[in-house]
Amino acid sequence: MSENHSALAMDCVVIANEPLGDGHFHLVAEPVVKPVAVAPGQFVMIRVANMLDPFLRRPMSVADFAPDGSRIGFVIKEVGKGTRILSILSPGAKIDVVGPFGTGFAIPDGAKKVWMVAGGTGVAPFLGLTENIKRADLDYTLLMGARSASQLFYAARFRDNGVNVITATEDGSDGVKGFVTSALSAELEKGMKPDVIFTCGPSPMMRAVAEIAEDAGIVCHASLESYMACGFGACLGCVVKKRGAEQYVTVCRTGPVFNALEIEI
Amino acid sequence: MSDKNLEVRFGELRLKNPVVTASGTFGYGLTYSKFYDVSTLGGFVTKGLSLKPKAGNKPPRICETAAGMLNAIGLQNIGLDKFISQKIPALKGVDTAIIVNFFGNTVEEYAEISARLSEIPQVSALEMNISCPNVKEGGIAFGSDVRATSKVVSACRKTSKKPLIVKLSPNVTDITEFARACEAEGADGLSVINTLVGMAIDINKRRPVLSNITGGLSGPAIKPVALRMVWQCYKTVKIPIFGIGGISSPEDVIEFMMAGATAVQIGSMNFVDPHIGKRIADTLPSVLDRIGESHISGIIGAAHS
Repeated sequence: MSENHSALAMDCVVIANEPLGDGHFHLVAEPVVKPVAVAPGQFVMIRVANMLDPFLRRPMSVADFAPDGSRIGFVIKEVGKGTRILSILSPGAKIDVVGPFGTGFAIPDGAKKVWMVAGGTGVAPFLGLTENIKRADLDYTLLMGARSASQLFYAARFRDNGVNVITATEDGSDGVKGFVTSALSAELEKGMKPDVIFTCGPSPMMRAVAEIAEDAGIVCHASLESYMACGFGACLGCVVKKRGAEQYVTVCRTGPVFNALEIEI
Repeated sequence: MSDKNLEVRFGELRLKNPVVTASGTFGYGLTYSKFYDVSTLGGFVTKGLSLKPKAGNKPPRICETAAGMLNAIGLQNIGLDKFISQKIPALKGVDTAIIVNFFGNTVEEYAEISARLSEIPQVSALEMNISCPNVKEGGIAFGSDVRATSKVVSACRKTSKKPLIVKLSPNVTDITEFARACEAEGADGLSVINTLVGMAIDINKRRPVLSNITGGLSGPAIKPVALRMVWQCYKTVKIPIFGIGGISSPEDVIEFMMAGATAVQIGSMNFVDPHIGKRIADTLPSVLDRIGESHISGIIGAAHS
């Protein structure tokens, strides 16, 4: 997986900020100056306010976007003071963005059946993937999991885009009752087999997805989340351990998307 | 911009301006070249190097705090050999002071690395790290005991042919004892300060956030402490001082220099604003103007008189 060297600063203006429910929101921004090309699964670092507190930028996975970078959207969950500030930004507000960074999702050569397993806001990069990488021979299936039906964001939009959507909710309010990993196992037991599985969501979920994929002999790529100070390989704060070696690699540059066999999720 | 009025002499080292970037926040020098030409800086300090590559600590390694951050990276680095074979050639053409930060597990290792780094023409100066709070060996074991500090500085003085700068720990009762010991053993300069030991707890998990339990606190939150220590060291020693700790603006640079720093190092702010080094170097002249000073070297220690 090659590094991305096209990263730079993009002062952006917010063009939409819509609540999605349950503390989630969809923030859409446009660069004020020349945009930088974005690829599915990449992320940017957002400085939530021009102040010293909150101090660090927030890494945000790019959700829906225009390929030339002239519009980038984010699906964000309010979890602390940084995301709270982002949640109340109004259209017209300026945001200081650097990026895009990292190695995103790439469909392996020859792969046609692509399954995506997402938990919560983990659907974000798959919006960008399915809306920007469209080929007649590509067959997308999204398995999405959430606590409840109200948190299955963009299920209808994925379906409208021609993606086969399978849902799982912990409370049984939509689709399979239980975790999305149960839905994944159930699909595989039916004899279905994708060429590749992409996954994004909470670490325990991705770990389980990676195990299921490994047992079934299916290539699995996982998009990792980590605390980051810089986002471009300087702080070495975001590392993940390589599998079978006493060595750490940066999530921001080597990832955030990894072949699940190469790392310890 | 080439501006003679920004030039400072850090001992033998001539810096085109006093803005240098700090070890551990700037990679090996080229990480930031996608943001700006690093030759606009007075210099940069590399990530700390050891003889052998070092894997670093288990994650989580960092945590945000009020106006700052904690880190416990654990000195992850590529090792001296790889630095010499891969990074040094890539720095060809970089027109700024290249200061290499290093550490060892033993006095002998410190001396060996200092000898080997002295053979590299592109290296402008060496910065000894005797103050990393996040590793058991090396680092702080030498930086929290005055006799150990004297011993390791003396050993490196013998093997180093480059200006030798010692980075001091703030995690001691009286930093001036250490400053005095370094000067007595022949150090050419001091870097004041490294991070302050701190911690954070995840109340949901009821566990420390960092896998290392404690980490080094940096960022604007520590600036007043750093400034006070620069002030104290300036009163104690004659050798030049790099002021380090939470610098985020040209005004902060002036403040550190008035406290007695000859130059400064910008640390965590590089993460927040990757353009900060250039931005501060570019805006220093207008702040100098505002305070009615024509040469920046004129303000070094100004607050003492």
